[in-house]
Amino acid sequence: MLRSFGIIPLLLTGGLVLAGAAQANDQPLKVGMSGSYFPFTYVEKDVLKGYEVDVLRAVAEQMDTNVEFVTASFSGLFGMLESGRIDTIANQITITDEREKKYLFTQPYVYDGAQVVVKRGNEEITGVEDLVGKKVAVNLGSNYEQLLRELPYADEITIRTYDSNIEQDTALGRVDAFVMDRVSASQVIKEKPLPLALAGKPFSELRNALPFRDTQADEALRDEVDAALQALRESGRLSEISQQWFGTDISSL
Amino acid sequence: MNLLDINYMLELVPILLRYLPLTLGMAAAGMVLALMLSAGLAVIRVLRIPGLNAATMLFISFFRGTPLLVQLFLFYYGLPQVMSFLTTIDGITATIMGLTLHFSAYMAESIRAAIVGVDRSQTEAALSIGMTNGQLMRRIVLPQATRVAVPTLMNYFIDMIKATSLAFTLGVTELMGATQKEASGSFMYFESFVVVACIYWAIVELLAWFQRRLENRFNEAYRR
Repeated sequence: MLRSFGIIPLLLTGGLVLAGAAQANDQPLKVGMSGSYFPFTYVEKDVLKGYEVDVLRAVAEQMDTNVEFVTASFSGLFGMLESGRIDTIANQITITDEREKKYLFTQPYVYDGAQVVVKRGNEEITGVEDLVGKKVAVNLGSNYEQLLRELPYADEITIRTYDSNIEQDTALGRVDAFVMDRVSASQVIKEKPLPLALAGKPFSELRNALPFRDTQADEALRDEVDAALQALRESGRLSEISQQWFGTDISSL
Repeated sequence: MNLLDINYMLELVPILLRYLPLTLGMAAAGMVLALMLSAGLAVIRVLRIPGLNAATMLFISFFRGTPLLVQLFLFYYGLPQVMSFLTTIDGITATIMGLTLHFSAYMAESIRAAIVGVDRSQTEAALSIGMTNGQLMRRIVLPQATRVAVPTLMNYFIDMIKATSLAFTLGVTELMGATQKEASGSFMYFESFVVVACIYWAIVELLAWFQRRLENRFNEAYRR
């Protein structure tokens, strides 16, 4: 019965397989991303773009394989990884103790920090210590919620989790601030017409890498991807991609 | 300052419309399957088939009692951890299955109500002129029940079209998923969501027009 809808999977595949240059023999590297995290992974006129997209294409090229990008809501990505529908997630996944217990990570390819962002003109909040008694937005499933909960005054912060649009709700004043990584926060402020400003310095170092399932087959794949990242780092390609997107090298300390 | 960037919105329309066939396709497939399933469930409930009746009530209770998003996550992400063969189900199939199961629970009750609502005198009259049970259902009860059920079933179809917007959580880029991604690239949230709201609205209006025509047809016999 579903076969008569064969056109639909075809359409979808057309939308999902946004990459894949030279034909390689083995399975493509299936990479999940939200497609809604500027400038790491986003869509412009139906084309998937971003730092993550460029890095993973370079990795696949280095490995002499194809890459297939699968976009889903952020809250669905780890479920896709768990259920074996993708090989890894390229969405600025920060290495945390909890995640390390469960997943195998490659080396970090982004070093960053958590950043408080407020509506422009907000003088009250000048850093993470001013979040006491405030409403703070974070993305659902991201590790910023955890970071906030680890603060000594966590009980006095009202944390709101969002599936998307935290920048918009902060600009509208529905929440007092949002927490995101410094790199994309500065990018948002620089390029987009929303009245937002960074508040203070980043408050926690973040190392972002690619997670893989903890199985033998996936460990081999992780090692391959890690080797490719290392090669890109040594050849200067990784730094080059970072310069193109951020005007600075975020791929090393 | 411009309230809306009209040019951006006009550019966005054709891009988003590429995802409309997928949205409507999933809803249509879900509706066809849900109609069949719910008709079966309704018959079980009306005839109170022993055993099946209790199972049907449990089915309806669960699928009506939990949010569609929870059901989608459960089947797409939860169950495959226990039964790995389920990972072969792709996001589109899972969405269609989720819509089918969820909406058939509601639709079964509407259909049951429509069948039960046909006046008893109709049944008695049919039996008095010697109709068999099959003829009674086919010629007398079901045509009248259909007329009653159509408006609510159309309602469920409309709801189903909008419920496909949850599919992006299963990695299916349909109308809403495409809009979210475009909005995150341009940061034109207002514009993007206005455009997508208008697209959904236009589709539903088109369906409402079709529903009015359908109802007029069914009501012909009742016009005085």
